[in-house]
Amino acid sequence: MGAEKPRILISPVEDFDDELVDRVAAEIERAFDFPAERLPLIDDLSFAHDPGRNQFHSTPILERLDASAPEHYLKIIGMTRVDLFIPILTHVYGEAQLGGRACIVSTHRLKEEMKAERTFLERVAKEAVHELGHTFKLLHCKDKTCIMHYCRHISDVDRKSGDLCRYCKILLGDEVKRMGKAGD
Amino acid sequence: MGSTRILIVDDELIMRESLAGWLERDGHFVEKAPSGEDALEILKESRFDILLVDIKMEGMSGLELLRRVKENDPDVAVVMITAYGSIPSSIEAMKHGAQDYLLKPFDPNELGVLIEKIIESQAQAQENLYLKEQHKERTRFESMIGQSTSMQKVFDFIKDVAPTDTTVLITGETGTGKGLAAKAIHTNSPRKEGPFVGINCGAIPEHLMESELFGHQKGAFTDAKENKKGRLEMAHGGTLFLDEIGEINMRMQIDLLRVLEDRVFYRVGGTQPREADFRVIAATNRNLEKAIADGIFREDLFYRLNVIAFTMPPLRERKEDIPLLAEHFLRRFSQETNKPLEGIDREAIDEMMMYEWPGNIRELENAVERAVVVSKARKIRAEDLPIFRPEHITPQAAGKSLKDMERMHIQQVLEETDWNIAQSAKLLEIDRTTLYNKIRKYELKKAD
Repeated sequence: MGAEKPRILISPVEDFDDELVDRVAAEIERAFDFPAERLPLIDDLSFAHDPGRNQFHSTPILERLDASAPEHYLKIIGMTRVDLFIPILTHVYGEAQLGGRACIVSTHRLKEEMKAERTFLERVAKEAVHELGHTFKLLHCKDKTCIMHYCRHISDVDRKSGDLCRYCKILLGDEVKRMGKAGD
Repeated sequence: MGSTRILIVDDELIMRESLAGWLERDGHFVEKAPSGEDALEILKESRFDILLVDIKMEGMSGLELLRRVKENDPDVAVVMITAYGSIPSSIEAMKHGAQDYLLKPFDPNELGVLIEKIIESQAQAQENLYLKEQHKERTRFESMIGQSTSMQKVFDFIKDVAPTDTTVLITGETGTGKGLAAKAIHTNSPRKEGPFVGINCGAIPEHLMESELFGHQKGAFTDAKENKKGRLEMAHGGTLFLDEIGEINMRMQIDLLRVLEDRVFYRVGGTQPREADFRVIAATNRNLEKAIADGIFREDLFYRLNVIAFTMPPLRERKEDIPLLAEHFLRRFSQETNKPLEGIDREAIDEMMMYEWPGNIRELENAVERAVVVSKARKIRAEDLPIFRPEHITPQAAGKSLKDMERMHIQQVLEETDWNIAQSAKLLEIDRTTLYNKIRKYELKKAD
């Protein structure tokens, strides 16, 4: 029997609808071809709270997620409703450890200018795949339809597809191959 | 490779780290400095396209750093990072050449738009430079010159490899004549009747690269007013020379690999497949194996290009070719400037032989060109050569001028050989008369 395929962990901080988490899981499996499963790791983000800004600093959350997740998970994506920031910027939709293990996506600003609930599911799934892409060393892509495109505005998130462009697919394949070799 | 080089200067670790992380995800190459003093040290070693500088820092202020940076490199874009209370200083900084300022914490969109705006304006300047260089390239062509053993080896190699249709990778320092070697392979190959089409991958602005290589169909993008043939298409039946291949970005590496594997390509916005009927010769001054290890060059593309490889020797390893090359350039520039010069005097040749020529043949060519212009005598003299003039001695080297170094070096060699003139002259690669002249000039004496 061959070795079991490594898994990607989805770790919601607060309670999220199953429909949303299932959609995120399905899109992750489709984009990265690794099975995804759900396991909450953190339920209190007060350690990352900045009272002056009344926002949550995403970088320490990533460190906590990475430290709390069992080692056999290949990557971990946190999901939260709170508004995230990094010190130099006013806000972020999410953050990832570039080429690392953990990333996080915030739904806080993904409800802006929304016409239908379906749009929200798509946005969260797209941004989750985008952040996970960074953990596979993918950078922002200039192709506006690629899921790795950095969106300036929420309408850009709606405009981009749920897929990686052909370049990013090749680069992802390279990274997965490299990780496989490193793990041998 | 293709990415913008950004230096962040901020004394707050958390600000440096969060900004660097953000910019790295955009594919930029980022370095960080905790102070103005550290930034200046980093800038001594490498050049950056954009500096993001915190205006208020311990030690050297952002304003002082801006002034020092602009003195050395007026083209670098400096963006000041400022807190609310420091806006007046930022406005002051703009008067002193800062590109813009950002009030921290800044909106991610604001940062993105600003960086993009700077990259676009720098790309425009690079594009203008590229067009000028292209014109220069068309007006100059040299044949390969050299009698040294290392060059004879190069000639033998070219003779062997030219008749085949194999891909060739030429490595070597800048200015060693990699382009001439590529041209020589082409003119001795069965494809010699076909075109030799070169493309300098390092000189072409990234946004023009795809269309320059592959061509485009009318309407493929905003500026595509007409159909345009790319270099791949122009090279049909001939040789495609990819100079500075180490500089192309990841996307273009993927596209090129596909062309080399499938032997077909498409114009940008085109649907008609076109046959890639050309021989590929690539050249680089980079260590591609290191670039692969650093994750910036694709291993599969490297193996496609590295079928047969050879290295062009640096000029310092073929110094015996210097007189020949110098005379050749002299003839050409005398003709071009209509200034009949008889030759190069012995002392000037000796000086040339002693110099290390880090810029190789290109540097020698430029030195002779300048000497032809400034020369007031019938022959080029040592003082006409720019490399040995005092203005080329950097302030850091004050007290260690080339003349000081030369004097010390000759003294050292003489001591090593116990003042054996013939042996010393051989080691110094100059003749005995020149050595005697130098001993007189520097008043060298045997140590007690």
